[in-house]
Amino acid sequence: MIFYRPNNLKNLFELLENSNATNYFLAGGTDINLQTKNIPKNVNIFYISHLNVLRNITEINGHISIGSTATFSDILHSDYLAKHLPFFQNSLKFFASPIIQNLATIGGNIVNGSPTNDVSPLLLILDAKLELISKNNSRIIPFNSFYRGYKEFDLQKNELVKAILIPKNAENNLETFYQKVGARNSLTISKITVAGLKFIENNRIKKIKIAVGSVNEYPRRLVNLENYLITKRINEIKKDELTKIIAVEITPISDFRSDQNYRFVVCLNLIEKFLGINF
Amino acid sequence: MKIKFILNKNEVEIDANPMTRLIDVLREHFQLLGTKEGCGEGECGACTILLNDKPVASCIANLIHAENGVILTAEGIAKTKIGTLLIDCFDETNAVQCGFCFPGFLVSSYHYLKTDGEPNLEKIKIALSGNICRCTGYQKIFDSVLMACEKLDLS
Ligand SMILES: Cc1cc2nc3c(=O)[nH]c(=O)nc-3n(C[C@@H](O)[C@@H](O)[C@H](O)COP(=O)(O)OP(=O)(O)OC[C@H]3O[C@@H](n4cnc5c(N)ncnc54)[C@H](O)[C@@H]3O)c2cc1C
Ligand code: FES
Ligand code: FES
Repeated sequence: MIFYRPNNLKNLFELLENSNATNYFLAGGTDINLQTKNIPKNVNIFYISHLNVLRNITEINGHISIGSTATFSDILHSDYLAKHLPFFQNSLKFFASPIIQNLATIGGNIVNGSPTNDVSPLLLILDAKLELISKNNSRIIPFNSFYRGYKEFDLQKNELVKAILIPKNAENNLETFYQKVGARNSLTISKITVAGLKFIENNRIKKIKIAVGSVNEYPRRLVNLENYLITKRINEIKKDELTKIIAVEITPISDFRSDQNYRFVVCLNLIEKFLGINF
Repeated sequence: MKIKFILNKNEVEIDANPMTRLIDVLREHFQLLGTKEGCGEGECGACTILLNDKPVASCIANLIHAENGVILTAEGIAKTKIGTLLIDCFDETNAVQCGFCFPGFLVSSYHYLKTDGEPNLEKIKIALSGNICRCTGYQKIFDSVLMACEKLDLS
């Protein structure tokens, strides 16, 4: 293992280019340090947490840009986010615990890509984008297309997540919903997470977005469900139709935290709660 | 790699692998045995220290995270006014049983008193939510911190 502490972004990309081992970035280390047992010996580690250009929370072209090495406590304590994205900020209160929030970064969370991560369902419904940079290139992709399978991403070798971009008005005038279900109130690891946004006018669904975590190989929007719900009146929603659609769109697993059936039923319950229906 | 930081108010420098876990730096290199290792996975809080005025799990942080930073461990906190107040309150309410979790609780409670200090049970619970105690059932710990908040308010 060789450890690098780049002086700036330019230096980082030069070092990366000359490295012929597997490269890891070290941000907060809350995932990497638990995985080091499985990480092969010939890896190179590139420290990025000290690069302040990656950590800012600012506004750019109608978007709020959250630097990838912003920690969860930076996010939770940002007055700016409290003003513009209060739902996003409040939802992350249940992320781990303070002693992890002070280390863990949002970029690390996304790239570690655990199916249970707290952030992705939120970024999905808020139409977030990712700003990715490499030595000679910079691109912006919809967050929606970042995950391609279990721990498979649209991220090239030596490409870095620079920032997460969320439209400034993403939450405006919408009813919001976020619930993470776990075994205890403190330090909850999600068994199921449901995030939703809706706009209902005259009892009719005019806008709807639903994303779930922990019940598929990666967090995703439930597009078929959204298509079924849009323009419907709440009282036109049928329990059997809803159940059938959700059953196709989520593929919960059984593991040591809970079994498949439990996850399915709780997911259905949360979605009904979000929609405000009581069959 | 040579890394400098301030440890319990003293400037220190250490030449070591920057990926070394902070807990190992503190316990093995500096012999500060107040920082305990429970789970080694960020879940129990026994290893909590203050890094740049914020509580962190030192078992999943690396030496490099401390570069040019400021660390305060349970030993350093015990010497402060608020630290002594907290220890007295833990004592007065008989909050401590086996004691293994307490250095971590001391650090998290100290941070709460420094940054907020309102005698508010819900807030205290959140501040201490990364610390696990296998003996006491928490009530007396919360009582002690509430007591410390009130005493600090009066002083
Ligand atoms: C006790 C505990 C509780 C937790 N609870 C939760 C929880 O409630 N919810 C939750 O979602 N997660 C939880 N986690 C996991 C969470 O801490 C991590 O996913 C964290 O956000 C990762 O960020 P990091 O900075 O620590 O990443 P690191 O460990 O530093 O890096 C993780 C991975 O991301 C890559 N990487 C990091 N930054 C970038 C970047 N900018 N661009 C490209 N690649 C990058 C690294 O190469 C590495 O592969 C918990 C972890 C612990 C230990
Ligand atoms: S030993 Fe660090 S949190 Fe348990
Ligand atoms: S007093 Fe024993 S673990 Fe807390």
